[in-house]
Amino acid sequence: MQISSKEVFFLISLITIIFLIAPLFLIAYVNLYNRRKKKHDEETDSLKSSFENELLKSQMEVQEQTLKTVASDLHDNIGQLLGLTIITLGSININDPEKAIEKIAAAEDLAKRSVKEVRALSRLLDGEELISRGLIAAIAFELDWVEKSQLYKISYYSTVKTLPAKADKEAIIFRLFQEALHNIIRHAKALEIIINLEFINDLLILSIADNGIGFNFTEIKKLHKGMGLQNIQKRVAMIGGTVSFDSAPGTGTKITITIPY
Amino acid sequence: MTLYFTVNTVIEFFCLLTACLCLYKDRDPIWRLCILYLLFTCATEVSAIHIRKVLNQSNLPLYNVFLLIECGFISTFFYYLYKRYVNKTKWLMAWLGIFTLSFFGELINNHYLNFTFKTASVLSLVFVLASLYFYYLILKDEKFERLNNYAPFWWVNGTLIFYFGSTSTNIFFDYLIQDQISVFAHSIRYIIFNILNVLLYCCWSYAFLCKYLQRKSSSSLA
Repeated sequence: MQISSKEVFFLISLITIIFLIAPLFLIAYVNLYNRRKKKHDEETDSLKSSFENELLKSQMEVQEQTLKTVASDLHDNIGQLLGLTIITLGSININDPEKAIEKIAAAEDLAKRSVKEVRALSRLLDGEELISRGLIAAIAFELDWVEKSQLYKISYYSTVKTLPAKADKEAIIFRLFQEALHNIIRHAKALEIIINLEFINDLLILSIADNGIGFNFTEIKKLHKGMGLQNIQKRVAMIGGTVSFDSAPGTGTKITITIPY
Repeated sequence: MTLYFTVNTVIEFFCLLTACLCLYKDRDPIWRLCILYLLFTCATEVSAIHIRKVLNQSNLPLYNVFLLIECGFISTFFYYLYKRYVNKTKWLMAWLGIFTLSFFGELINNHYLNFTFKTASVLSLVFVLASLYFYYLILKDEKFERLNNYAPFWWVNGTLIFYFGSTSTNIFFDYLIQDQISVFAHSIRYIIFNILNVLLYCCWSYAFLCKYLQRKSSSSLA
């Protein structure tokens, strides 16, 4: 079959057009993919910065909570001890040496107790120092302070001896624990607090339960009252974990936080 | 004089002018080398017209010589573009070796008379692959580049369009070189190459402009 020049012309033109369209599409595809890469980079950056923000917020809240504890301890404990010391020293009668010695000894004892309390407070004051001891020690330390108030019976069960050091996660988990604990103190009217800490298959499971008045989780969420609860949910999600609230009016509350660690 | 003003020469001189204006102070020697390459291109094009139209002789041997310069420059340019991502010195050496062997083999086989179109076809194919590999490197790279203003991207775009678009004419080279289509004064090969040259040199000119703007913005930041 003879092919005319005209046919060859159309054939070659067609092939050339196809061969020109193909790279144009390829260039458009590369450009599109690159834009998606940019979008992905921006999303990653935004996630990173929001994580850093939350981390910073958590650290600040830990410090804020610590300062609150310090203020109340200064008022209720050290203030009382120093007040008693002043009263004891003021009541010393130099003419009655026997009683004076007794009172001086009592004042000395009060002063020593005050110093001990101040030392403990100074350790607590540094919120970051508290977390830098490790999550387990920080939880135990926080529980000691709550127990000292003698308002709650604290039961702390932990099978975990040590945890791999992960400063960012530790700060957020500790703040979650603090938030849950202080929710109990503020709202639950509980008498007993049970803490359970487990580490199974790279999962850290922290549960905080109380025997307080409890609440209806769905209702509270619907009314947008539980900002603290939403905060807990948001932060747990940020570090890739899950949280469950098990509560009903009159039956106490159990919060279980599961975090890949 | 008007003899020398064709679509090809006009667009080539335009690109040369853009290169001179945008690249003469560039920090990358390989980009500055573009000026020299375009100068060779323009000189070849004008000489080819002169040989064919004035001296009435075949200009194919001239294009054969230019093919060597073309391969050397484009290959080295790709090598420098890759350098930001990977080092492919061995690839460059191996390719230049293969090209030289193929080029002189075909030249001897043609008794130095015909255009080495088989080597030119291989060259086109290799440059198409090189362009695709550059895209692959861009996509693989974790760092994001604004491609609309990214000079190497536009340089490669022009190269890919030119070499990919010329595939069909290279395949049918033998037929087209003898072809005289009455509708057009020039052969279809010439028309296709006019279009491809316009696309190539427009992309390159834009790439040079991007390079200039990049240099300006980085010097104003410093």
